[in-house]
Amino acid sequence: MIAFGCAVTRPDVYRECAAQGIRRAAEPDSVVFDGPSAGTIFESYNALLDRARELDGLEALVLVHQDAEIVDADFGAKLRAALSDPDVGVVGCVGAVGVRSIAWWEGSVAQASFVHRYDEHGGGDLPAFSWAWDEAPPYARTGDVDTLDGFVLALSPWAVRELRFDESLGQLHGYDLDFCLQVRAAGRRVVTADFRAIHNHALEPFSDPEEWIRAHMAIADKWDGRLPGVGWAPGSWRERALIAEAETDAAKLTGHSLGLAHLAKVRELERALEETRTSISWRLGTPLRALERRRAATG
Amino acid sequence: MIAFGISITEPDPYRRYAEPGIALAREPDSAVLAFAAVGPVARTYNLILDAAAARDDLEALVLLHPHTEISDPGFCDAVRAALRDGDVAVAGCVGGSGGRSIAWWDGPVSCAPMIHRYEELGGGETTAFAWAHPDRAPADVESVDGMLLVLSPWAVRELRFDERLRRNWGHDVDFCRQAREAGRRVVTADLRVIHHHPLELVDEMAVWVDAHVDYAAKWQQDELSEEQWKRRARRAEAEREAERAIAYSNALIQDARVAELERELAAATGTLAWRMTEPLRRANALRRRLRN
Repeated sequence: MIAFGCAVTRPDVYRECAAQGIRRAAEPDSVVFDGPSAGTIFESYNALLDRARELDGLEALVLVHQDAEIVDADFGAKLRAALSDPDVGVVGCVGAVGVRSIAWWEGSVAQASFVHRYDEHGGGDLPAFSWAWDEAPPYARTGDVDTLDGFVLALSPWAVRELRFDESLGQLHGYDLDFCLQVRAAGRRVVTADFRAIHNHALEPFSDPEEWIRAHMAIADKWDGRLPGVGWAPGSWRERALIAEAETDAAKLTGHSLGLAHLAKVRELERALEETRTSISWRLGTPLRALERRRAATG
Repeated sequence: MIAFGISITEPDPYRRYAEPGIALAREPDSAVLAFAAVGPVARTYNLILDAAAARDDLEALVLLHPHTEISDPGFCDAVRAALRDGDVAVAGCVGGSGGRSIAWWDGPVSCAPMIHRYEELGGGETTAFAWAHPDRAPADVESVDGMLLVLSPWAVRELRFDERLRRNWGHDVDFCRQAREAGRRVVTADLRVIHHHPLELVDEMAVWVDAHVDYAAKWQQDELSEEQWKRRARRAEAEREAERAIAYSNALIQDARVAELERELAAATGTLAWRMTEPLRRANALRRRLRN
């Protein structure tokens, strides 16, 4: 039996996103835990682990963010295939190798089978690189990774029984990397599988950079030296500090450059729109456009 | 006498931008010290400083980048006003108090009214350094940008650019720091220019990062323990990755805005009415071409 769990803080979002996907992916005997969040995501997920542990015949616990929607109707079959090796502790659809920090996307991303759906500026979809496998780049693959993105995590019965989310790490960030590192430290596997999800998310990565930074530091301190690569970088601490400070300023500068380029692009488009709407042919076409609108309105 | 100094790598931008600006601003007795670039820009600038220092009548040396075009015919008056206080060693058109690094804009910024002119996307101009949310010059700052450096006679005679900083970034911040370490002031002033520059602010970011490290290593004065360096490194590495994520997401937001406008334009030009009036637009375009 595959169970689903969600820490709900916004019931409307849950209904529109996660609940839709769970309905699609669930099987007749599936259990769904969709109660209100129990504090931090670490605490909420531990509460879900406690409840799932009591279930007889548990094959997997799927933890879904309230704004994530699983899109595969055959999700169960794909998940069972991924969990057929008992060494697999956790499964996801987005993962990377060479991960050194909670910024897992700074590692070598191996699979990203999701769409980032946003509401800003009229809304839109940003399909990640392995959303459509026939268009995926050569490095896209399912299989072993260092860590998964936590928006959909499927835990094996072993992981549900033996592991906990580390509540000392903060409120929200880094729970997924830390959990995956626990799985690997216990000698189990972290893998991606061929299922897909839509992540309905604002375009900004986090609203609280300081909390994200603290989580980054805490996890680096916790895991440095325990698993290869995590919290590590070449050079002495002094060299690392000076290089990272330089690269921080470089990232800000890159942001300013991109902002200028976009500003220029926006101006170019606004200019083109203005020229279109003030042209003689636009004015001449006004009656015809009105007619077109009327025809469209009446079907 | 106010002298103008330029390090010229490529003559073309000098001819197009710096030279007309100097022609606009110079006074009859102004010297123009245009030197071919040798080695890092610090070395060429030191050659220019040597030449300027030999002039007994020197009131100021204006070092400007070939892509900087002075846009104010009253520029020399503005230079004299900026250097009126004998404690001012360096003045510029934009600067800030970023403090610890060559990213001088990472702190309060002040700026004269100036334009950033670019050629991409059909060309255009925007308010320079608007992204740094500057206050209006004048102000005391820790450093000014090297696109335009106005040096007092004291600075010309007593200071030199550090030729060990070989990556052509940070020489300006370092020079300003030397001036401040000597107890002198660095200021922004109402020095109006047009900065002809691509939209990409730095073309070789890896070189800029190395320059940042070189500068930090030169001026690093804190005696930190290994544990303190470790905490600083951890913090910096986390901040770096946060900044990268923020820059990426800001680009996504801006892309979404562009996509929205592209949809609007496609909708406006995709109507039957717009397609039917296409011959009229073609005829108008032809008429304009013939007229020109």
